[in-house]
Amino acid sequence: MTTKVRNNVRVLGSGPITLFFAHGFGCDQNMWRLLAPAYGERYRTVLFDLVGSGSSDLKAFDPVKYGSLQGYADDLLEIIQEFGEGPAIVVGHSVSAMIGMLADVTAPGTIAAHVMVGPSPCYINEGDYVGGFSREDIESLLDALESNYLGWSSTMAPAIMGAPERPELGQELSNSFCRTDPEIAKHFARVTFLSDHREQLPLLASPTLILQCDEDMIAPIAVGEYMHRVLPRSTLKIIENVGHCPHLSQPSASASAMDDFLVNQGF
Amino acid sequence: MAVEGGDIDFDPLEDLPCGVLTTDAKGLILHTNSTFCEWTGFHCDEVIGLRRLQDFLSMGGRIFYQTHLAPLLVMQGSVSEVKLDIQHHDKTTIPVVINAKRYQRNGAWFLRVAAFVARDRDKYERELLVSRQKLEGMVAEATRLKKQSEDRALFAEQMIGIVSHDLRNPLSTIRLGIQLMEKRGVTPDQKETLGRVHRAADRASQLIKDLLDFTSARIGSGLAVAPKPVDLHEVVALAVEELSLAFPHRRIDHVRSGEGACEADAHRVTQALGNLVANAVAYGQSDTGITVTSTVAPAGWRVSVHNWGAPIAPEAIEQLFMPMVRGVAEDSGNRNVGLGLFIVNEIAKAHGGALDVASTQELGTEFSVAAPHPIKTPS
Repeated sequence: MTTKVRNNVRVLGSGPITLFFAHGFGCDQNMWRLLAPAYGERYRTVLFDLVGSGSSDLKAFDPVKYGSLQGYADDLLEIIQEFGEGPAIVVGHSVSAMIGMLADVTAPGTIAAHVMVGPSPCYINEGDYVGGFSREDIESLLDALESNYLGWSSTMAPAIMGAPERPELGQELSNSFCRTDPEIAKHFARVTFLSDHREQLPLLASPTLILQCDEDMIAPIAVGEYMHRVLPRSTLKIIENVGHCPHLSQPSASASAMDDFLVNQGF
Repeated sequence: MAVEGGDIDFDPLEDLPCGVLTTDAKGLILHTNSTFCEWTGFHCDEVIGLRRLQDFLSMGGRIFYQTHLAPLLVMQGSVSEVKLDIQHHDKTTIPVVINAKRYQRNGAWFLRVAAFVARDRDKYERELLVSRQKLEGMVAEATRLKKQSEDRALFAEQMIGIVSHDLRNPLSTIRLGIQLMEKRGVTPDQKETLGRVHRAADRASQLIKDLLDFTSARIGSGLAVAPKPVDLHEVVALAVEELSLAFPHRRIDHVRSGEGACEADAHRVTQALGNLVANAVAYGQSDTGITVTSTVAPAGWRVSVHNWGAPIAPEAIEQLFMPMVRGVAEDSGNRNVGLGLFIVNEIAKAHGGALDVASTQELGTEFSVAAPHPIKTPS
């Protein structure tokens, strides 16, 4: 199986630098639809789905390999190796920010810079550290995913209500961006929300932009500030946004923060 | 558009049999109806302008909302048939199915939500989940048992392989000893004893061979044959000659039919014949002859062994080719553990053929190994 099929890799745009857009927990590469296209004019852009999400090859999902974020990080390194041209910049949302960090620490020098959108190295509160969640909260999420069995089962296609302002979305796409095998979703949720990568943060040598929303329950401000303190070469940019997906709800503010960072870093 | 009764003053949202909500972009509830308030146990005054949609969700539901619903709403403008748990004022949960749609008015985004209580669906889904988990448990157990039985079969096969192999060495030492003693000259008494020891050693090595064949046919990769062009009559003639020496007190005749050329594994045919003739000697009437017939016909080849004597009971025939089954022998001194016919049958099957038996008082008993010629592919 090729990396291209496994991760549903799509290469768009052209330029001397390659931007790798890695989606977070929940949906797939469509999450970048309001942000990524503009970068295609200046950069080579690579979009892909994490194995188990979107249109990735579900047969490739191995619960052992993907039992930690390192499995996804190894995939990312293969994607960079195969599709990268020039310096590689990883734009990672949520859990993919940590996947990018792990990839960098695994193979230093492969990734030139990181843009982390709503990152969190650890979601669960521990001692002085505020991650935002208790272990019970995460169990409650797993239950929510599980009890949505019919709605999110990959074999059920709920009727679309219609989105006249988005005629480009075919009926068959309804909810499909965020739909996957419920078992995989649960596994990924567990791996994502129970992960703790605080120890690796100081090892990340590449320049990093932390794109932090001012009101994000998944990655609260305290987490962004913690990352900024611990990451050796980081820039913290706070965007006014409620929610965890500024690249969808505030695409222009997200893009301008990214542009400033890329220019400052000489990309 | 007015119809009769249309002038009655209904509040179109208040009286709907479903909960409706309008929120701003941040989820703050700007409007709701009494149905939603009743369901959730709140007074509408406690909700409007004060609580957000997210506040009604469990913690897991909020994460789900942020990671799935919110991005979907932006990407496709609406979501449909999404199940959520809404928290009642008394902290109990109400399963609901929602449809939600985003609207833009004067540059600002709003969300409109319709919610339906879905207790039955919730119950059904949970039952479905339990059945699924049960089924997965059963599949896992079946897989485990299969693996276990495969492991056991492999172990038994290896065990028999090892034991058989290790038995060969002491057996050849015994044989060598007999030969040495015979060379040194022995008394007629001792010669008789040595002869018995020699025959016992031969039977033991035959038993080892049968065990190995049985093991590979039953739990291994199947009994191996290597068919090659042979003259069947010559193969059978040679085997009959050897068998006549082994059973000197019985007459064994060989009848040939047709040309001898066919494709068969000469070693396996000899082995099958050995088993069948040994059976005929053991079970047949001892004062009668045994007839071996080799036939090559246009359709295939056949090797038969015929003996006279009491027929095999019809009910016994069915089980005859199963391992560990044996008939009632006149002289059980020549018998092994009952693997003989099973192995002959396996040899026939490995050649694409079958082992047949016909047994009556009038016609006697005849076992036949018959196999078709291999299909020639035109070159």
